[in-house]
Amino acid sequence: MATFEWEDVKIEVDEDGFMEEPDQWNERVALALASTEGVDELTEEHWKLINYLRDYYQKYGIAPMIRKLCKETGFPLKKVYELFPSGPAKGACKVAGLAKPTGCV
Amino acid sequence: MRTTRITEEERAKAFAPTRKPEVTERQQLDVRYHVEDFAVEDRPRRFLEAFAAILRHSNYRFALDHFIRMSAKCSRCSTQCQVYQATGDPEDIPCKRSELLLSVYRRHFTLAGSVRGRILGTGHLTDEKIQEMAESFWNCTACRRCSMECPVGIDHALITHLGRYILSEIGIAPRALVVSTREQLEGKTGNTSAVPVPALVDTLEFLEEDMEEEKHVAIKFPIDKEGAEFVFFPAVSDFLMEAESLMGIAAVFTATGDSWTIGTGYFDGINYGLFYSDRILERVVTKVSDETKRLKGEKVLIGECGHASRSAKYFLPVHCGGKDALPVYNIMEYTYQAWKAGKLKLQPNAIPERVTYHDPCNIARQKWILEQPRELLKAICADYVEMTPNREDNICCGGGGGTVSIDEIRPYRTAVGGKAKADQIRATGAKYIVAPCANCKKQLRELVEDQGIDAEIVGLHDLLYKAIIFPDHMIQPAVPADAEDEDNPAAEPVKPDSAGSADE
Repeated sequence: MATFEWEDVKIEVDEDGFMEEPDQWNERVALALASTEGVDELTEEHWKLINYLRDYYQKYGIAPMIRKLCKETGFPLKKVYELFPSGPAKGACKVAGLAKPTGCV
Repeated sequence: MRTTRITEEERAKAFAPTRKPEVTERQQLDVRYHVEDFAVEDRPRRFLEAFAAILRHSNYRFALDHFIRMSAKCSRCSTQCQVYQATGDPEDIPCKRSELLLSVYRRHFTLAGSVRGRILGTGHLTDEKIQEMAESFWNCTACRRCSMECPVGIDHALITHLGRYILSEIGIAPRALVVSTREQLEGKTGNTSAVPVPALVDTLEFLEEDMEEEKHVAIKFPIDKEGAEFVFFPAVSDFLMEAESLMGIAAVFTATGDSWTIGTGYFDGINYGLFYSDRILERVVTKVSDETKRLKGEKVLIGECGHASRSAKYFLPVHCGGKDALPVYNIMEYTYQAWKAGKLKLQPNAIPERVTYHDPCNIARQKWILEQPRELLKAICADYVEMTPNREDNICCGGGGGTVSIDEIRPYRTAVGGKAKADQIRATGAKYIVAPCANCKKQLRELVEDQGIDAEIVGLHDLLYKAIIFPDHMIQPAVPADAEDEDNPAAEPVKPDSAGSADE
């Protein structure tokens, strides 16, 4: 566990840079986490993806299936990789403040 | 196998440190995978205690006694090891790796070895040797090609497995695996990817809707249906990653009409115990057996996953009832049998692109499943090609033995472990690489991305989904686009071969 600081944001993250306490997530935290993913600016499309992930996570306690994510946001997988170069699980989920996916993900 | 040595640049990237220096210092352990903090004091003594306890409660002694007598260290295995072929590092020669543990066994657990060691005052286990083992045993992908080549029959992967098991008992195991198995055995969700039951149900309902839209057939995922013939356990990550594989499997069962179910009590085929701990292997495989019995199912059906299939097929009889244990099938065996029996109709040439098949080590090395997927693919693909070598001689994806779940070693996996596989894939020129294994799929996707290969990694059932011909009575009339179409006689049943969506 380590403390990650970015401008005025100060959060606890694991060795892969995922939030230790997803409850402390807010939009500033998203910006801070995005900076670690090579995403300097969060556009409307980024937010659409992040908000969908967060809503699903709050309802079900896990990220949605990738096919569902693509269908519900209308972004093909390629577009998700354009928005978050590390991909949906390692990139988008991290910025949305979800815990690191485990298992064969 | 031709030499596939990596370049200096690739070497630098693959072996770059992944951990903070303070973590290495605190844990007194220099490895590339993350490890949860553990007691660092008196490590050699605790290693030997764990080793002694495992020997006492297992049959490893017979194998080790045989191995130390037979081991000639001839290095024939090095010709087959894709890791050694890539690195050229003598430390990566399989019998050198095995010797790390065999030397500890010889020195501390045989009479001759301990007498000689005491008289000469040499060879005792040190912290440095533990460090060497912690690094070396996780550089191996446990593909077992070396065992095929060994003239005296030494199973190097078994020794690696035992080494990892002992290390895990003193706290040295990749965190990625430990965290996943902890959730599986002690967590709220009870599975490695922490998928809660409501999320599972939501996902399956979503897939059912999609399939109805695409195929105009009511394809269902039966949940908690008691008395089904098959109780299904995919790698649980399939519920997040592999929509098409699951859809294909549900479509096959709908077409054949056989009964199957997914249990909400337990629905994960993954068993990382196979990679690093017999204790965990037993506990996980027991969950599979218990859930099948709870649902009064007849057979255990494992999804597209090599290690999940091997761990259930070979260890369910060991730990859950011997000869009375539930029979275990891999989904490809079922689909093949159903097709051969005429219960499943497939559209020839449904896949026009070039397709090749990657054999997952855990189902191919022992010649368990070799021809079934090939025959199915040849039945639906216009351009099917083989990789060389293949079948029981296949080359590992480079992420075997649990290493694929360790994200921090991805550069190592795709530059070193997967080097030979990348060359093989390139040589086929295939558009689709069929890899019926959750481990292989993840690794190969990362491999083609990092190596810049233009190929798509899919499961067998992803392609079968596009080729299944449903009986006419299952196909529902197309839903009219609007009310005006209600009397339109054109709203006829849509057959899959005429449905545009089938090839999407």
